[in-house]
Amino acid sequence: MEHEYYPWGGDFTVCSQRACVAVVLLQIEYTPPSRVAIYGPLKTENIGIEKIAANVISNPHIRYLIVCGDDIRGHRSGSSLVALHKNGIDEQHKIIDAPGAIPYIENLKHEAIERFREQVEVVDMIGVTDKTKITTVIDSYIRKSPPSFGEPYIAIRIKPVARIQLDDKRALHSKIVMDYLGKVKRRGQ
Amino acid sequence: MFSFTKKQEILDISGIQIGGQPGLHPTVLFGGVFFKGKPDFDQAETHIQKMLSLSKKTGNPAIPDFFIRKEEYIEDIIHFITQVLPSNHPFSIDITDPAIKIKTLEHLHVKNLLPRTIYNSIHIGITDEERQALKQHTPEMVIIVAFNPKDTSPDGKIEVLENGAHLTNSGLLDIAHKLNIKKTLVDTAALAPGENSGASIAAIPVIKEEYGLPTGCAIHNVVEKSLWLNDMDAARKTVDAGSNINIPLFGGDFAIFGPVENADLVFPLIAWQDILISEYTENYFGISPTETHPRRKLFK
Repeated sequence: MEHEYYPWGGDFTVCSQRACVAVVLLQIEYTPPSRVAIYGPLKTENIGIEKIAANVISNPHIRYLIVCGDDIRGHRSGSSLVALHKNGIDEQHKIIDAPGAIPYIENLKHEAIERFREQVEVVDMIGVTDKTKITTVIDSYIRKSPPSFGEPYIAIRIKPVARIQLDDKRALHSKIVMDYLGKVKRRGQ
Repeated sequence: MFSFTKKQEILDISGIQIGGQPGLHPTVLFGGVFFKGKPDFDQAETHIQKMLSLSKKTGNPAIPDFFIRKEEYIEDIIHFITQVLPSNHPFSIDITDPAIKIKTLEHLHVKNLLPRTIYNSIHIGITDEERQALKQHTPEMVIIVAFNPKDTSPDGKIEVLENGAHLTNSGLLDIAHKLNIKKTLVDTAALAPGENSGASIAAIPVIKEEYGLPTGCAIHNVVEKSLWLNDMDAARKTVDAGSNINIPLFGGDFAIFGPVENADLVFPLIAWQDILISEYTENYFGISPTETHPRRKLFK
């Protein structure tokens, strides 16, 4: 593994391992100071948010998640992230009151989501694009220097259970088979 | 190279045919027309004309896919569509925000453009208001995106088409049917590397054999998200264009290939691939390509 933390990978830059601030960038060309723990862009309101939550809880030193820049139209990924932290998810795994198009958290257990909600405070700077202002806010949170949340939480990605066990490994898929010429038909037909 | 047992639907929009057995029709290519900020229509026109001329040369139908990000641009973009495209040429609209989708449908209705419109797209995030708007102003053709955040495998994609995977009250195909949408294409929802990116390709023959519907995807999105290619500019462009050959190779009918600027790479590549496939499928399955197929146009 490249880093001790952040097992879910993604498009991010790791800075100071023991810093307390992580920064989420929404459509903004901005490089936060290296005093932060990690920063990176958020694009999607489902898988993108899952990765942020899973990676953040793997580093207990992160206590503040600063979300800045312009939210993405339609996806509303930043606002959906804020909603996840504020409200959690419903029985259908939908982020409660999230404004995004498809705001579902399907690969993280409830326990991991609760840990995310408890471990960090989300600083909602959606709509703020003034880089000096963002840096000032980042520094003000770094100065708070809170204690670590404790042990890292390594979230396990929920994997769908394989529906059918196949003996025939030549098959393309559990639903279809193909003969040696390439004729595809439904399995069992 | 495949042939399907299930009867394959061939859908027509303004004379462009999508679907059928592999090797019958040329792969349909959707080129994205993106505008950063205020639309620069001059530049867009140059790229679209270039794509249309490549389409004429190769035989692969070209469909410009217009991204509309802000309500204030709807009218201008629709006016541009009426000016830049040959009369009756189909186009698609790619919009994320449901409110802008609804407004755009209204405008397309007023301009009598719905018979040429491919609506990109219906997915599990469909809102009640969007359903109402689609019922009122029904586009000729709709792309259904089989994205299932619970299960990214081909099975998960079938689940959202079939029953909505408990994320919508019924399956996406049923939703489209109830909205009186007669022509649907299935987009197998390509996801980033690390998120089962290969499943969007593997799902193509599964969905075609299951439903017989024209199927494809925007596989180039996977390349866009392959960050390790960032410092290999020339290779990145080649990989981006090259990723599209997976679609016809796995029996798919259309490729949403990314920015229209890439048409000069993508059209010859897919025409070449279509010829390759057609030679095999005609020999073994007796599928003769149509008159507009690249094999007829380019390989005399």
